[in-house]
Amino acid sequence: MGIIDSNLSLRNRNKLLLGIWEDEDKLVEATSELVHAGVKIQDVYTPYPVHGLDRVMGIRRSWLSIVAFLCGATGFSLAFWMIYYMYVQDWPLDVGNKPVRFSPSWVPVLFEATVLCTAFGMGFFFFLRNRMIWGIKPELLDERQTDDRMVIAVETDESVDEKKVLKIMKDHGAVELRESNGGVQTTI
Amino acid sequence: MIHDSLIRERLVTGGKTASDVTRDIARPILNKPSTAWKVGFTLSVIFLGIFVVSLFWTLWTGIGTWNINKSVMWGWDITNFVFWVGIGHAGTLISAILLLFRQKWRMSINRSAEAMTIFAVICAAMFPVFHMGRVWVGYWALPLPNAFGSLWVNFNSPLLWDVFAISTYFSVSLLFWYIGLIPDIATIRDKVKTKAAQYWYRFFSMGWTGSTRTWARYELISLILAGLSTPLVLSVHTIVSTDFATSVIPGWHTTIFPPYFVAGAIFSGFGMVATLLVVARKVMNYENYITIGHLEAMTKIIMLTGTLVGIAYLTEFFIAQYSGVEYEQYAFLNRASGPYWWAYWSMMFCNLVSPQVFWFKWARTTPWFIFIMSIVVNVGMWFERFVIIVTSLHRDYLPSSWVMYAGSLTEIGLFLGTFGIFFTCFFLFAKFLPVINMSEIKTILRNRE
Repeated sequence: MGIIDSNLSLRNRNKLLLGIWEDEDKLVEATSELVHAGVKIQDVYTPYPVHGLDRVMGIRRSWLSIVAFLCGATGFSLAFWMIYYMYVQDWPLDVGNKPVRFSPSWVPVLFEATVLCTAFGMGFFFFLRNRMIWGIKPELLDERQTDDRMVIAVETDESVDEKKVLKIMKDHGAVELRESNGGVQTTI
Repeated sequence: MIHDSLIRERLVTGGKTASDVTRDIARPILNKPSTAWKVGFTLSVIFLGIFVVSLFWTLWTGIGTWNINKSVMWGWDITNFVFWVGIGHAGTLISAILLLFRQKWRMSINRSAEAMTIFAVICAAMFPVFHMGRVWVGYWALPLPNAFGSLWVNFNSPLLWDVFAISTYFSVSLLFWYIGLIPDIATIRDKVKTKAAQYWYRFFSMGWTGSTRTWARYELISLILAGLSTPLVLSVHTIVSTDFATSVIPGWHTTIFPPYFVAGAIFSGFGMVATLLVVARKVMNYENYITIGHLEAMTKIIMLTGTLVGIAYLTEFFIAQYSGVEYEQYAFLNRASGPYWWAYWSMMFCNLVSPQVFWFKWARTTPWFIFIMSIVVNVGMWFERFVIIVTSLHRDYLPSSWVMYAGSLTEIGLFLGTFGIFFTCFFLFAKFLPVINMSEIKTILRNRE
């Protein structure tokens, strides 16, 4: 498993079957039904986070919190090393006879550095994992998927019973069914 | 089983659908600027001009253009710094703390409050940076290997902690704000018509498609950032308060400062949020999104934090008298009855007495009244910092150094000018970015339990 999530790109995919929804409850039902029927869902696109949908799709909890902890630990260590080097090793500074070795006055800088590294480290890995970078072209399946419509995309191959997939979609409130072949969409 | 709530009041009124939300909130971005926007923006740019002129004068002639002197070495500049930093706290508070407490009413106001945070911190940073005098060597404040002498920075100094705290707060708030904006930038990207707009919104949307895999991580990172920002927000104003509290100046040398400053920051921040949103909801027709219920929730926080700040004023006054330290006793009696009594009593009236009107339902639900009160709160909080800084400094241990202090024209210009920076940024934000978080608002349209 690479760091960049390979599931996200739609390039070089087989034919995709697309169902369009306008109601989030029906969308969750349909997703659940498709998962139970053993269909592998490529992804579900929604204009806002639909709670519980990731669990229905069987997406594992992200490692981001562990990454955040590691980044924070790195930030803390770097800051500690920085202060220790500057303040204890290289040039001990006597201010009002206060101790130069570890003292509570180090805490603010240690804390801020930890927060800074956690936030930006986590942000970096978040963008990397989601293959998000400035200027990248979005791969949209419906022009209203960031507005009010939701899309379920199912990638097909020989093992997938297309009729069954389309029937489940239709029975669970899809307002439109399409197929996408190499980026060209046709309504079914 | 998920179902629609029968008793909970709706957070978004008017029976809006997801596409209505997009249409309403993207309207100012997709249409030509309104007359109200043009007038507001022009006024803000005029104030920005005042800032530029005052700053030029400060840099050209020197800090001598300010009225600060050997006793009152901190005057309007640090007053304004703390004033703006305080305002900058409500944004992250609303986004982070209210997110952790699952207060869904924050969703209508968090975006503009976060924007306000960022612009307020920019305004705040102007004062200590230019007070350094030789601003071109401002990078000496960073822990860099010193090629000019043999010293590193002093890690015992709260002024250095401030450098770390403010810069961390600014950059983390910016990241939090930007990550929150990405789905909405993508929505705008798919709506705009002109080539240039399509290019820039596509550029900043980072290829966002609304994939559930991405949303799952997005929600997690938002939660962790909120968890990080909560202690961050508290730490920043705590550190700002230690600029004063670690000194041995009577009136500053008190342990109550950190919680007292944090409560004051939240108080003033909500004051500014209320000022902006009462106007914005009217001018931009967002009354269905920022409802009277939202305003009422904000006024309750204003009342709570105002009362906390008031208790802090009374506590420090009592402790000063009770301490038996004559310098402390004198400092506080001098605040209340000395030459700056008017500043002290303005502060007391604006911050402790006036928010008590919010006990009455009418006061909490009348927008024009909330607007006036929010201005009163802002004035009061400016006076608080003025009282703390100037009244403590103008009479020090040595009576021969006692002086009076009033801001010079340049200092006043700089302060008024920062309103120019703030509102110019805010008007640009309101024109080019969605003022309300569309993707979050869409999740609460159904009033789910």
